[in-house]
Parts: sequence; structure tokens; C-alpha cells
Amino acid sequence: MNSVAIELLAPRYPIAWYPWAVQYFFLIALSYATLWLAAPALIFGKKDWLPTARLALLACLSATLVAPVALLADLHQPLRFWHFYAYANTHSWMSVGSVILPLYLFSVMGLTWMAWRPALQANRQAPGFLGFVSRWISLGTSPTPKILMVVVGVIALVFSTGIMLYTGAEVAIVKARPLWNTHWLPPMFVATGFITAAGLMLLLNRVTQMKNSAVNSQMLKVMLVATLAAAAIAAAWVLGGINDPQGSVAAAIESIRFSDSWRATALWGSITAVVLFVGTLYMLFNTSKRPALHSWVWLLGLVAIHLGWMFRWVVLMDVQHVARNSAGFHHYGIPAGSSGLLGIVGTFGLWLAVMLLIDLFVPWRDAQQGGVATDIQPATNIDSAAKGATSHG
Amino acid sequence: MDLMRRSLLGQLARLSAGVALVPLSSIATAGINAQPARREGDPTKRYGMLIDLRQCIGCQACTVSCHIENAAPMGKFRTTVSQYEVEDQASGALATFMLPRLCNHCENPPCVPVCPVEATFQRQDGIVVVDSDRCVGCAYCVNACPYDARFINDKTQTADKCTFCAHRLEAGLLPACVESCVGGARIIGDMRDPNSQISQMIAEYGEQLMVLQPEKNTVPQVFYLGMDERFVTRPVAEAALLEVLDDQGKEMGYEFRGH
Repeated sequence: MNSVAIELLAPRYPIAWYPWAVQYFFLIALSYATLWLAAPALIFGKKDWLPTARLALLACLSATLVAPVALLADLHQPLRFWHFYAYANTHSWMSVGSVILPLYLFSVMGLTWMAWRPALQANRQAPGFLGFVSRWISLGTSPTPKILMVVVGVIALVFSTGIMLYTGAEVAIVKARPLWNTHWLPPMFVATGFITAAGLMLLLNRVTQMKNSAVNSQMLKVMLVATLAAAAIAAAWVLGGINDPQGSVAAAIESIRFSDSWRATALWGSITAVVLFVGTLYMLFNTSKRPALHSWVWLLGLVAIHLGWMFRWVVLMDVQHVARNSAGFHHYGIPAGSSGLLGIVGTFGLWLAVMLLIDLFVPWRDAQQGGVATDIQPATNIDSAAKGATSHG
Repeated sequence: MDLMRRSLLGQLARLSAGVALVPLSSIATAGINAQPARREGDPTKRYGMLIDLRQCIGCQACTVSCHIENAAPMGKFRTTVSQYEVEDQASGALATFMLPRLCNHCENPPCVPVCPVEATFQRQDGIVVVDSDRCVGCAYCVNACPYDARFINDKTQTADKCTFCAHRLEAGLLPACVESCVGGARIIGDMRDPNSQISQMIAEYGEQLMVLQPEKNTVPQVFYLGMDERFVTRPVAEAALLEVLDDQGKEMGYEFRGH
């Protein structure tokens, strides 16, 4: 008996998680990925990773500070955030996350403070407000022990894996949204997080005028590994789910079959990923032969950042448009207010402001693995001739 | 790709995935996301609802009376009746199918364990409720419910849902939707009492009763009599109502497809 049905009457179901969630997932992924990029030099003492680590730490602290703001804003009752601790429980991934997040935040702040402290101490005698801030933040002139940085750094790395696990699991356990309900979502968040972080580093390397070619080649390698990992995860997701009529792969195929906008999204996502991968390979093999290419890798960084943000937008926002109990797809126009555009722009604005404030008051370019003020060797710009005061031209 | 090859590839992927993810998934299933203990409510009762679709005429009296009783904000519903036009392709014959929806007060409710502050909980009589003084409005439960039974109440900014009108049940009254149903299609009662109407109807119709999305393993406690199995999972239907948007993408109104 073949029949066709038309849904005459059904309520519209609006999205429940707003773009704030995308901002949180984006920033927290940048946070943990950049922490791992800062780790080789600042925690494990690998000197040739120091320029990368200095940039990574700037990105890491700023993202770590702003991410919880976006998360709080996604609550409909943000002032009740203390309920998370008054009524904490172990059966909700979100509750587990609410315990891990502050621990992670404080460990990152501790690590960053120690890495910047010798340079801050060197600035104690600086005139005016800069000297005041340096004296105030550096808390005395005692040396910063390396071993303490290793301990705090390893603790931060441990908590960062907790963040990776909880942010992924929180979404992946939701059976009601088949597109989310896959074991492959958490590793994909991590892989795209590293893609985005590597991209951001390429961009920061350019806009901060560090223009360090070692940073570029290290980040291109990270990007290559991360894109290959993401491709492997995507392939495993498809192959593992292709026979399951209820799974996330089936839901994805159905969405692509019946929705023009999902088809466009899938196509755009695939093109972006291919462009990023080919571009990374090209830069990796050609920058050594043609050093002039170094001044263009930041473009690849923009593509990577776009890919990482778009992945989170599609996963967290677009998936909520797929009706699960009624027919078709729900329409969602991004509202202009704080639950929409203003929230997105505001989060990025806050992030930029935090980075600029740090840049204004903290000699982050001289971050190092502990020590005392006299150890400070000013950061050298390998490619640029700028000396002394940093320029932002 | 032929089926054999597809299944072989699938097996291979599952094998490699399995090795990597076994410890992860066992952590996820043990403890975290398990149902917390039920609290409050009468432990000697288990409320459930049976909806006799043969009696439903789609008048939406339940939708309206619920809306008034529970003061839900405009456009959000604790219960409503979805309506479908079904056409037999061979004969061209048309039929209308009504599907009243509400919270299923599942035996294994996916909305409860996700709540980070235990604001939503299941009472010992099976009713799933929200403590709106404790709810932080994270909307995790709204996403976790496969039945779209939950929403964020714009007035309270907390999660809202059908409570089987627990406040009325406690006062010896029927839920608003049951009270107002012109066809007597909604039957609520204590399923632990063998003499209740619902228990007797469950015993009488047994196999004929269906629940929504049984494959989600939520074990719903709202049973449908006279159900068409094509509507048990997400209905394979075309949405008839289209939003009309202006140049800025803002909603202006609705129109029916094809008009």
C-alpha cells in the first residue's frame, strides 16, 4: 500500500542552543589545542618550539578566558550558574564539565602567569602604568622554578583532555539527534580544533609581525596531521555507519537528499577541506624553496579558521533545524539580538579586546619556561627588520 | 557498491573503531548518563496515558485547554495534535490522520540524566517534572528529548513540559487535556491498579498498542490505540506549512505549499 502524506499542522520547534554554544565550542577547542601547541617548549623544554609557544600561549589564555563567558551566555538563567555547584551530580556530562572547566581555566592561568612572569619582572621598573601593572601582576622578584611550570603544565594538559572528552561526549550522547549520536563526533571536534588552532597561529604569526618562518613550518605540519586525522575520522564514520539505517550517517544522507541547504553545506565543507589540504601540502613543500610564500600562509590560516568554525556551526546549529518528530526542516533566521548576531560578534569582539589588553600590558613575546628576569632574551624577529618596540603595521 | 562489499567495509571500520573506542564508550555508559534515583510522588502508583486515536477528531480542545491551564507562552505547547493528510497513491483516496503529542513520561527518560543540576526529575509515580526554581535554562533536556516535548518557557526562561497536570491529579481532578477531550480519546490512570480503565485497556488491546520511536529505548508510557505504524517514527511526510520571509529573512506569515 503506497501512500504519500502531507503534514498539515504541527508546531514549529525553535532551536534550544543558540550561537553562543558555537562560540563556546570554537573558543574552548582553540584553547585546548593551542595549549598543546605551547606544551613542547613551555612544559617539555623544546627550545625550537619557543616562538610557536609564545603565540600559542597568547591565543590559549585569551580563548580560555572568553569561552566560559559564551557558555554562561547560552544559559537562559545565567545568574543561576552557582546551581551547577550547589546541585552538582555525576550523571550529567554537562555537570562533569562544569567541574572540569574552572579547574582547567585556573591551571591555564597558572601556567601562563609563570611563563610571562620573568618578562613581567623585567618590566617592573618601566615608567607609568606599564610598570605599575608589571609590579602588580608579577608578585615579587623571586625566580619562577621550571619544575613548577612542568607540574602545572602537565596538570593543565590533563584537564584539557577532560575538556576534549566532556565537550564531545556531552553532544555525542544525545540519541534524540541522530546526527550527533556517534562515537566519531568527539574525536572530530578535537581534530578540527587542532586545524583551527594551527590556522590561528599562522594568522597571528602574521598580524603580530612575528613573521617567524619556523612557526609557519611547524604549524603547516600540525595542520597536515590534523587534516589527515579529520579525513580518517570522517571516513571511519561513513564506513562504520553506512549499514546502520538508524545511525548518524543515515540521518546525514537523508538530510542531504531532502534539503538544498544541507546539500550546499556538504559541498562547501568538502571544497573547503580539499582546498585546505592541498594548500597545506603545497606550502609545506614549497616554502623552503620559495621563502616569499611565507608571507601568504596566513591565507591558509583563514581557511582553517573558517573550516573549524563552520564545522561547529553546522553540528550545533544546523542539526537543530532537522525536525525529529515532525516533517521537514525548521527554518532558522539568525536573529539580530544577543541570541544571534550580536552574540557572535560580541564574543569575537571580547576575544579581540582581551588579546589587545594582553598585548598592551604583557610582554608575551618574551614568554619562557620559568627562570628570572635577567634570563630574558628579547624575541628576535627572524624575517622582519623590526627591533625594539613591537610594531603592528 | 554491492551489499557484501559494503558490509565488509563496515565490519573493518567497526573493528578498528571498536579497538580505539571501547574504553571511551564504557566510561560513557557506566555511571555518567545513568538514571538518577526517582524522588517525590506516590511510589504505589505509575501514571500512564492511553490515546485512542479512533476517537480523536483533531479538534485541538486538548491543545487549548492545556494552554489555558498551564499558561504556556504563545507558540509553545505542552500538548498538541499534529494532523496529516494521507493519500493512497493507487486509488487517490484521502484520509486525515491525527496524532496527539505530549510528554511520554518515559520509563527511561533521556531528558532526566542530562540535567546538570537535577532540576528535572522523575517522580516515583513516573511523572517527569521540572523544578523551575532550580533550572538554569541550559536547554540540554530540550535537545535530549526525541519527542520535542520540551521547550524553554519565554516567561520563566526555564525548561517547561507536560506534567500530566500533576497538580490536578493530586487534587483528584483529571488533566486538562483529558477533561476537555470531546471524544474521550485520552485515558489517564494508575497502571499499577489492575482495576483502572487504563490497566484494563492495556490488558485488552495489548499487542495493538504502539508507542512513539520505540527504537530510542526510552520506553514511553503514552500508548496509542489505532496507530498507523508509518507514524511511529518521524513521519515520512511533506511539510505543508511554509514560512513566508521578507527580504531581511524575517518571518511575515505562513502559506500552504502549492498555493
